[in-house]
Amino acid sequence: MRVTNMVPDIQYAMQQSQQALSAALQQVSTGLRVNQPSDDPTASANMVVSLAASAGVDQYTSNISSLLPQMNTADAAISSIVTSLNTAITLGTSGATGTASASNKQDIAAQVEGVLSGIVAQANSSFQGVYVFGGTATTKPPFVAASSTFTSAQGSAGSPLAATTALTAGSITTISDATTGDTMTFKAAAGDTVATLSTAIANAVAAGTLSAGTSATINASGQLAIGTNSSSAGIVVSSNDAALGSMTATAGSQVANAYAYVGDSTVNTVQVGSAMNVASSISGGQLLTSGANVIGSLNSLITALQSGTSAQIGAATTAVSDALNHVSQQRIPLDNSMGRLNDQESYLGQETLTLTSQQTSLVGANLADAATNLSRAELVNSAVLAAAAKVVPQTLLDYLK
Amino acid sequence: MASLSTSLLTAVQSLGAASGALQVTNNNIANANTPGYSRQVAILQEAASTNDGGFSVGNGVVLEGFQSIRDELVQTQIQQETQTQSGANAELASMQQIQPTFTTSSQDIGTEMSAMFSSISTLSTNPTSSADGQAVLTAGQNLATAFNTASSTLTSQQAGLNTQVGQDVSEINHITQQIAALNPQIAQLNATGQNGGTVEDQQNQLVLELSTLTSVAVTKTANGVTLTTGNGTPLVVGSGSFTLSTTTGSNGMQQVLDQNGTNVTASLTGGDLGGTIQARDKTIPGLLTQLDTLANQFGTAINAAQAKGFNQSGSAGQDFFNVPTTVAGSAAGISVAITDPSQIAASSDGTAGSNGNLANLSAVQTTTLPGGETPGNTYANLVYQVGSLTANASAESGATTASLLQLNDQLSSVSGVSIDQESANLITYQTAYEAAARVVSTIQGLFTITLSMGTAAAE
Repeated sequence: MRVTNMVPDIQYAMQQSQQALSAALQQVSTGLRVNQPSDDPTASANMVVSLAASAGVDQYTSNISSLLPQMNTADAAISSIVTSLNTAITLGTSGATGTASASNKQDIAAQVEGVLSGIVAQANSSFQGVYVFGGTATTKPPFVAASSTFTSAQGSAGSPLAATTALTAGSITTISDATTGDTMTFKAAAGDTVATLSTAIANAVAAGTLSAGTSATINASGQLAIGTNSSSAGIVVSSNDAALGSMTATAGSQVANAYAYVGDSTVNTVQVGSAMNVASSISGGQLLTSGANVIGSLNSLITALQSGTSAQIGAATTAVSDALNHVSQQRIPLDNSMGRLNDQESYLGQETLTLTSQQTSLVGANLADAATNLSRAELVNSAVLAAAAKVVPQTLLDYLK
Repeated sequence: MASLSTSLLTAVQSLGAASGALQVTNNNIANANTPGYSRQVAILQEAASTNDGGFSVGNGVVLEGFQSIRDELVQTQIQQETQTQSGANAELASMQQIQPTFTTSSQDIGTEMSAMFSSISTLSTNPTSSADGQAVLTAGQNLATAFNTASSTLTSQQAGLNTQVGQDVSEINHITQQIAALNPQIAQLNATGQNGGTVEDQQNQLVLELSTLTSVAVTKTANGVTLTTGNGTPLVVGSGSFTLSTTTGSNGMQQVLDQNGTNVTASLTGGDLGGTIQARDKTIPGLLTQLDTLANQFGTAINAAQAKGFNQSGSAGQDFFNVPTTVAGSAAGISVAITDPSQIAASSDGTAGSNGNLANLSAVQTTTLPGGETPGNTYANLVYQVGSLTANASAESGATTASLLQLNDQLSSVSGVSIDQESANLITYQTAYEAAARVVSTIQGLFTITLSMGTAAAE
């Protein structure tokens, strides 16, 4: 073929070799084979999915890191509670012997009161502001000293509340009973009045949720008073109903050694794997006031030590022992969850490695190949430039005189 | 018997032929780097012989004229390949500007989507945490912004291409006018049996320039070229050029009309205009529809999950995202609807500390959208398409560049000027001229001797 001008071919060759050099340089400098979707559309799309999976794994790991300290706090608290209950059992056993004097029993009762107080303190443990035994109610201490009567902020002698006083639709009033360990939650509907609330309380008493005698009345000051009508039965009342105002314990009505659980009976679960959820804690109500009631059994022991017979003290001590077994039983799922979290953390670590490896194979450059490509591209580019420098200036005119 | 005068005439003709050939060589050298120039050659022909005393005697050389050397087939192939290349380049240029938006970064849609689900998961460990709730809102805003940015990139690219349509049409009209103006000159040259030469070179170069703008069918006649678009819309016939015009269509985009006012936009292919229209009317709208669908379906799914739960006040969850009522414009219009972290419907039972509904929000990540894929996979498909479209345009551009180089080499082998060849020709014709001049000089000497024959005898 007749060749007239080699410049366009040389320019094309230089362009090609410089593009190859640029691509090889980019691979070596970034360590990536795919820097933009057009470099490898399939790998780029798979990378999007893989990065999302990585973000999920990172998040699960982060969730475990958040959960484990909370669960450790709960476990440590339960451990302390177990120790305290063993102490209470020892005290009860010593009080049940016929040799203990009345004075000794009073001293022992005082010590058991201290144990109870300590257990409640442990049950109110928190980690970074999260009350670990509050169920889903994690922002306030789950165990509160109970009183026999609570009165509303609203209402006065001059402007008393009445049975017909309308409640605010959607407002919630809760009554937590220290004796039953249950909580009644009343959500006011449109048209509900104080009388509706009173009826709901009566129904809760009938159902055993609240202690017998618990009722709502309008007191002499025109306020709504919710009480147990017993100096030994305590409740905790709260309300966000503007028609009632905040409910506060009536002065002097606190019941000794009575603590109501104001937390939630349900606990949150947290996802720590694509198909793995764990309960973040256990409910304080389930731990201490349901089944073999820890607080109730300690109260019974205190009462027995203060005024009961040796047999009654022995029976109360046995009840505490049952409560200890209950607590130990409740600890098992928590410990199991912690074990699963530790295993899952290890698995996620492996998963992170797998995904990182997958991502490297998707978009990463093989450094040995990249370096070889760079050397080859450098060589080709040098050769093209050298050839261009030799060929372009050559013409017949150089040889004509 | 041939006379000295006849020989002198032959030598003078030879001088003229060599001089003409030198002029052609000179012109070739001068235009060696002129785009579109086809080398010319001098047509030299042996002069008719005469019968002199029973012998046939040659009468030298005659310069018949000059001829441009062309290969019409290769020229047509170059025009067609140029149309393909320009179309691919136009698409590639727009895709290269779109691609960074869909490249994995700290702010692309995929990353922001993952970040949002991560923040929801974090909130599940402490659903009453205001800071964690705020992180969910921020992540939602970042994701909405990523959708907005991607949509804005596509629409602003589309707007830029729309402007380009008007510019291309204006350029096409300018070139077709120039081509039409050359047709009468070519017709005149053809009528007198002359080679098109420079005028035809100019016209070929203009047709090539036109090929960079749009696909044209070229028909060569004795009256010059006839040009039509791919669908037969005439652009140049004889000395007349038929201008294209633009008008704003119902979609707000420039539509191309032929001289009869018929909308020919969809039929224009190839060249910068064809590639621009393809990217503006098909490629980008296709991507935009997918992006809008993803934004709409994702926002709707999150809102549906939000509606299943309760906020920190115990009220039913309200929309998390403001999602436009129509799919079109959803990516541009999506925004976060709630302003307070307490409005996140984390609770499944109305209590503030419950995180039960966050599982519903998280589940959107793995739930199939009405489009048939999860949000992540839908976005991954979009990334694949952007990458694939860019890679295909790049491959086509690269392939046509190589093909064009080869075709240009082919054309150059026929029509191109070789400085070396022309230098050799220069020597050849210089020598011929010198030799002819020597003949003239010799005959002149013979004349002198002949005329002095009598004078010398008298002395």
